[in-house]
Amino acid sequence: MEKEKLKQQLKQQIIQFLNLTNVKPEEIKDDEPLFGEGLGLDSIDSIEMIVLLSREYGITIQDPKEGRKILVDINTMADYIAKHKTK
Amino acid sequence: MYIHHYSCISPQQTFEHAHVETLHESADNKLTAKEPVYKGIPPGILRRMGKAVRMGIGAALPVITQQPAIDGIIIGTANGGMEDCIKFLNQIIDFEEGMLTPGNFVQSTPNAIAAQMGLLSKNKGYNITHVHRGLAFENALLDAMMMIKENPGNNYLLGAVDEISAYNYNIDLLDGCFKKECISNKDLYHSVSEGTIAGEGAAMFLVNDNAENATATVKAVQTIHTTDEMEVNRTMQQFLEQTLSGKQADILLTGENGDARLLKYYWGVESFFGEHTSIARFKHMCGEYATASSVALWLICNNHQWPEHMIKKQGEAAPVRNIIIYNNYRGVQHGFMHIAV
Amino acid sequence: MSRVFVTGIGIISAIGDTATKNREALINKQCGITRLSLFNTKYTGLRPCGEIKVETHELKKKLRAHEKGATRSSVLALHAFEEAVADAALSVKQISSRHTALVGASTVGGMCLTDELYNDANRSENGSEYLSSYDCASVDLYLQLRYSIGGVINTINTACSSSSNAIMYGARLLKSGLAKRVIAGGTDSLAKFTINGFNALHILSPEKCTPFDRDRKGLNLGEAAAFLVLEKEEDIAGKKVYAELTGYGNSNDAFHPSSLSDEGDGPFLCMQRALQKAQLPASAISFINAHGTATENNDFVESQAMIRLFGIPPPFASTKANTGHTLGAAGAVEAVFSVLSLYCQEVYPGVHFSNEIEATGLKPETSYRQLPLQHVMSNSFGFGGNCTSLIFSKV
Repeated sequence: MEKEKLKQQLKQQIIQFLNLTNVKPEEIKDDEPLFGEGLGLDSIDSIEMIVLLSREYGITIQDPKEGRKILVDINTMADYIAKHKTK
Repeated sequence: MYIHHYSCISPQQTFEHAHVETLHESADNKLTAKEPVYKGIPPGILRRMGKAVRMGIGAALPVITQQPAIDGIIIGTANGGMEDCIKFLNQIIDFEEGMLTPGNFVQSTPNAIAAQMGLLSKNKGYNITHVHRGLAFENALLDAMMMIKENPGNNYLLGAVDEISAYNYNIDLLDGCFKKECISNKDLYHSVSEGTIAGEGAAMFLVNDNAENATATVKAVQTIHTTDEMEVNRTMQQFLEQTLSGKQADILLTGENGDARLLKYYWGVESFFGEHTSIARFKHMCGEYATASSVALWLICNNHQWPEHMIKKQGEAAPVRNIIIYNNYRGVQHGFMHIAV
Repeated sequence: MSRVFVTGIGIISAIGDTATKNREALINKQCGITRLSLFNTKYTGLRPCGEIKVETHELKKKLRAHEKGATRSSVLALHAFEEAVADAALSVKQISSRHTALVGASTVGGMCLTDELYNDANRSENGSEYLSSYDCASVDLYLQLRYSIGGVINTINTACSSSSNAIMYGARLLKSGLAKRVIAGGTDSLAKFTINGFNALHILSPEKCTPFDRDRKGLNLGEAAAFLVLEKEEDIAGKKVYAELTGYGNSNDAFHPSSLSDEGDGPFLCMQRALQKAQLPASAISFINAHGTATENNDFVESQAMIRLFGIPPPFASTKANTGHTLGAAGAVEAVFSVLSLYCQEVYPGVHFSNEIEATGLKPETSYRQLPLQHVMSNSFGFGGNCTSLIFSKV
């Protein structure tokens, strides 16, 4: 249950952070790739999401390449946040 | 140089179904652009755009989606995405140079507008951004005229964009550019105080060397930097002699903006035109901003029958053929254009 | 169409405050990348920069630049401008003539004053003296006012290719008869704004940058100003002439707001267009002053584009390891270096290079040498896909 809540919150944060004004949280599927297909995000978005992880969850990722492994889809992000969040 | 297509997003109804007879009013000394629903911009790209980029692309799309296809993009903008620029600056201070989002930074560079146009139209041709404040558009125009001479048969997107952001409004207000008392744009020319009202917008043109079916011809453009009104008068005199070669101008369209400090320049320039010439003004429609003279050019392309609220003095001329635009930015930067229709 | 010649050069960068000192530093493989010392940022010590180690107020004193609102970017520009016009022996009267054009370029302008700008943007009273100095045009408006320059005045901002485009625009003004002489170049000073911006994009190197190296870690920012005096063939009799500007090409990569496409269409096209303008085959180019920022993206794409155009590229190097990436000034800085290369018939080596990029196998020049040079190409590529190449030729 806790995980579901986290995913919901994360979707809302992504929409707000990336200004995805035309996307609703329920439209983002948990296993849909965030980059390329799916939401169609790009390299600048991946850096913005790393900042999101830092500001909202206190997670520091130094190398954007490392970030790409975490920012695959909502599931991978939520798993990582659950394990590593400091706030 | 000939203008074929033209498009404008401004505080007036200039975009779709242009109708400039009805004057939309300013609020708090600002004339804010009437932004349309941007249909042609993919949502994934639109979400990142600040207002200046959005207006620029929005106004450019109707021009670049028509034939002929463009060979290059030439944009004038004093500040580009000023709002994004200060948003990023605020992040630097507010987050004490911590983890910052780069989106604002990338969007804040003035060349982001021409770059985004290149990206959307897959245009790999000449691409440039002129940022010389009150003469950014005039320099872009001069660039386009040179490009067309150098590359006969080519077509260019020429345009200008600037936005009001809360921040540049604040900086310019502190600098004495805007009126301290609140006035309506309808009363702009009755004001006797210093300063003007702020404006914003985007105007885009397709230009080439093809006279056939052209809307208007850009005959000449000249620019000077001076605070001396006599120097401005001399330049106007020479400009008229060179470009009109004895003919009379039918309309003088000026950038008068209600700032008492600048009236001496406009009065001086008006003295060169007699009974024949009508005198018209446009800043009550778009407000004052660095590339506002692009709106003057759009108005000339849009209609030859100008609404009453633009006319300062009705001349005898009919039909209208030769129009002179004189614009003055903050008493230092002066632009002169000769447009034939 | 008149031919265009370089008759004066001026430069101030992290490796020297005159053209002569810059040349000596390049010959001696001197690196100007150091720990920041003139202003405070969180990245002092973390992100080395090509800083000019002279305080703004000292520069102002030296240049008698006491006008209110003059920023570091403007004062650096003035320094290089004065050297260039003196070098070309232009009189005060010639500079103020309405036949003299000034084409400047900047990306930071007065935003080097990050804290002042923050206050002026967010406060309702007590504005600073810099209220009309934050934009890029403020630099050229300052120079215009100081010298009453009477011709076309312009400022260009196409990010990191800005001053290459200023030089190109200047040459075109001359060729189209809109000016008799042009002073063209650019300026940028270090700023919290750009340091944080490039850092947010994760492309600032924590060490001294290593252009074209396999293990490059990003770029170092720098600050500089450089100007060139351009004159027409009919006006250069009896003058010192450094080089002829024979080619220029501008293109857009039309791929991404902040990185270049793998195919490198933008870089390829601007080099190709410059060759066409100069009416030269690719094989005529003797040396390339590469953009070479030392970011993973740029150096790879630039290498690919050079291979695509030249097959086997001519000798090349990037001087950004000496000066740092000076953004809006970079095109003019490297135009000055290219012109010096031709005039002195020598190539300046790239410093800090160790191993070539595996996929391209390209190795920049690593030692100073004298070399007969006919045509030197200078590349500048910027954010927004704005790419420009210039070609200077021996006279």
